[in-house]
Amino acid sequence: MLFFSYFKDLVGREVTVELKNDLAIRGTLHSVDQYLNIKLENTRVVDQDKYPHMLSVRNCFIRGSVVRYVQLPPEEVDIELLHDATRREAR
Amino acid sequence: MAVGLRHFTARAGNGVGEPILDTDNGEELVHVQPSVSVAVGNRASESLGTLYITTRQVIWLSELDREKGYAVDFLSLSLHAVSRDPEAYPSPCIYTQIETEADEVEDESEDSDSECSEVLDLSKIREMRFIPSDANQLDTLFQVFCECAELNPEPIEEGEEEGHNWIFSADQLEDEAGAGDDVEWHFSQNPTNTIGHSNGHHDLASSVLELQINDQRFEDAEEMEQDADTGHHHQSQQ
Repeated sequence: MLFFSYFKDLVGREVTVELKNDLAIRGTLHSVDQYLNIKLENTRVVDQDKYPHMLSVRNCFIRGSVVRYVQLPPEEVDIELLHDATRREAR
Repeated sequence: MAVGLRHFTARAGNGVGEPILDTDNGEELVHVQPSVSVAVGNRASESLGTLYITTRQVIWLSELDREKGYAVDFLSLSLHAVSRDPEAYPSPCIYTQIETEADEVEDESEDSDSECSEVLDLSKIREMRFIPSDANQLDTLFQVFCECAELNPEPIEEGEEEGHNWIFSADQLEDEAGAGDDVEWHFSQNPTNTIGHSNGHHDLASSVLELQINDQRFEDAEEMEQDADTGHHHQSQQ
C-alpha cells in the first residue's frame, strides 16, 4: 500500500514513467490505483527514436506491471520520510 | 493465455457474428463499437470492423471478411492512449502498445516484412491502433479500456509468495541465516503488503496486519543502535 499512497500524493505532479521495454513517458500524474496502474495527462515520449509515432498523446493509461521506474520531481521527495515509511512497512 | 496479439475467428453462428467468449470463466462483453478500423503495427489500416471490448480482451472482427479478426488480452496491453496528434497518426485513434514475448529482442524485421507479406506474425506486433469512424467516441473507448484493464491485474503465481525474501538491510542477513523464513512472514491471510508486490487479486484496501511478536530474536541487537538511522522505531514493542 505504501507506494499506492505515496503516488496518490503526487497526483498533479510531473513524472517520467520508464517502462520495462525502455520507453520513457513524461506527463502529469492523473491517477494511480492499487495495482500501480498509472494514468498520465499531456504525455510526451522522452526518447522518440524507438516509438516515433507515439509523440504526444493527451491521456495515457500505463499498466502497472510494465513499469520499471517512476522518476519523481526531486523537490517533491522527502527522502527521510520515504526511507522511514518503507522501513516501517517492511516490518 | 497467449501473450501478444493473435488471430480471432470464433464467431457465433447467428447473423450478427459476435465473438464467442469464455463465459464459463466469467468473461463478459462490456462494450461494442461498430465502424472501427484497425491498424496493426506499421501496416495500413483495415477498415470496416466492429470492436468488442470484454472483461478480458479486446477483439476486432472484420465485417468484410468473416474469417478475419484480431484479439489481445488486457494482460498484454502495456499502455493505451487517445492519440489526436495528426503527426503521430492521420486519424484520431486509440493507440495501444502490446507486450510481446520477444520484447527483450530488437526485432527490426517487423518493419520490412509487414509491408509485403500477407501472412503476418501477430505475436511480434508491438503497436495497434483502433480508429473509430466517429472520433467523438474516443474518450468513451479510452474509458472502457481503462476500466477493463483494471479488471486484469497480474495474476499471482503460486511459488512467488513462499520464496519471498526481501532484504532491507545488511543486518537482516544475519537474522535470516538463523531464523529462516518461518516466523517473519507468516500472516494468517495473504502477505501482500510487501513493497513492490501490489499487483494481484488481493484487496489492499483492507487493513494491513500488525505483526505482534514477542521474540528475543526480533529485538534490536546492540550494534544496530549505533547505526543512528533517523526514525528507527522499535516496532516490535507495540
